Amino acid sequence: MSYPNQPNQPNQLSRRELLRLSGLSLASGIVLAACGKQSGVIDDGAIARLGEAPSTTALAEAEVTDAVLLRTAASLEYNAIDTYTAALGLGVFKGDLAGATEIAKRFRDDHQAHADAVNGLVKALGGKEHRCANVRINDLYLTPALALITDDKNPNVGVDVIALAHALENLAAQTYQGVVELISDPKLRADAIRIGQQESRHAALLAQVLNPGIAAMGPTNDPTTGKPNIAAIPAAYGSQANIQLIVGAPKPDGTRTTLLLETPSLNSLVYDSVSC
Amino acid sequence: MLSENDITFLVAAQSLELAARDLYANAISRKTKSDEEQGLLTLLHSHHSAYEQTLNGVLSKRAALKRNDEAYTRFFALLSNADNFWTTLLELENTAIATHTAIIAKLESAKHASLLASITTVQARHAAMLATRISTNLDLALENTAQSLVAP
Repeated sequence: MSYPNQPNQPNQLSRRELLRLSGLSLASGIVLAACGKQSGVIDDGAIARLGEAPSTTALAEAEVTDAVLLRTAASLEYNAIDTYTAALGLGVFKGDLAGATEIAKRFRDDHQAHADAVNGLVKALGGKEHRCANVRINDLYLTPALALITDDKNPNVGVDVIALAHALENLAAQTYQGVVELISDPKLRADAIRIGQQESRHAALLAQVLNPGIAAMGPTNDPTTGKPNIAAIPAAYGSQANIQLIVGAPKPDGTRTTLLLETPSLNSLVYDSVSC
Repeated sequence: MLSENDITFLVAAQSLELAARDLYANAISRKTKSDEEQGLLTLLHSHHSAYEQTLNGVLSKRAALKRNDEAYTRFFALLSNADNFWTTLLELENTAIATHTAIIAKLESAKHASLLASITTVQARHAAMLATRISTNLDLALENTAQSLVAP
C-alpha cells in the first residue's frame, strides 16, 4: 500500500515542498516586477489587454505646514464673511431681532480684519494669501444649512440664521484652538488663539441672542427633551467636539434637521496648491 | 517632560488662576448680587478652580505654592468699590487671557500651549458675558485691552 505524500512517490509534492515552491514563485515575481524597467524590458504589446488604461496625474505634494493651517483659518474667515453678507441680504433681522443687524455687520467686519491678519501671517511665512471661502465647508455645511433655512415652509428664518452664525463662530473658535497644537512656531500659536478668542466672544454674544438671560449663560438642559440648551459658556474648556446645528422647517413629527459641523480636517485644509 | 522654561511660565499661569479663584470666592461671599448673578459668579469661580487644579496636575511637584499676590491685591482693592464690581471682574478675565496668551507664545510644548488655548477661549466667553452686565457696547465685550502680567 502506498501513500501519496511518501518520499518514494516522485510525481507527487509534499505539503512542505508545495509551500516552498509557492514562496519561491512569489519572490521571483517580485524581483522581476522590480527589475523590469531598469533592465530595459520594453512593452511590445504582446500581452493582450482590453481597453486603454487612463493616464494618471500625480497629486501635488500636500504637506501640512504652519502656512497651510493659517490659510485654512483664513478660508473659514471668508465662509463667515459670506454667511453674514448673505444673512444681511435676507433682510430677516426685524422686530425682536432688529438688534442683530448691528451685530452681524460688526462681526462681518471683525472677520474681514481676522482674514487680513491671518493672511499677513501667511505672507510673513512666505506663503500665498488665501482670500476666498473654504469650498468643502461651504458644500458640506453652509449651502445645505442655508437651503434649509430659506425654505418657504420655515417659519423661523431670522432665528435660524443666527443659529447658523453661532455654529460658524464656534467652528472658527474651535479651528483656531485646534491649530495651536499643530503650529510649530510658538509665537504663531499665540497669534492664532488671539483671533480664536474673539470668535469665542462672538459665539457667546450670539448664544445670548438665541437663549437670553443670566440664568442661560451657563449650561442648562431643555426640561422636555433633556438636551443641552445653547449657552454662552457651555463648559470650562474649549470644546473640540462636533457642533450641532438644528435648523429648517419642522418635519411632520415636529423635529427639525440637525447638521453636525466639524473643524477642517486633512481633506478640507487649504494646501499650497489650492487657490481661489 | 516639561522644560524649565515651560515650568516657569506654567507656574505663572497657575498662580494667576489661584488669584482669580480667590477673587471670585471673595466676590461670591459678599452676597451683594441677585441669585442669578450669584449663579454666574459661582460658575466662573468653578472654572478658575478647575484651571488651577489642571495646571497643578500638569506641574505636579513643581506646582505653584501660592497665588499671584500682586494681582490678588490689585483686583481685591478694585472690587471693594461696588460700582466697579463687574468692570473689575471683566478686567481680571481680560488680564488672564492676555497673560495666558503671552505664555502660549513662550511655551515650547505645543500640548500645554493647547491647554492654555482651550482655557483662554472660555475666558473670552466669561469676559463677553461680564461685559454685558456693564453695557451693551460691543467693543467692551469684544476687545481686550488688558496688559499681560508676563512680559510679551
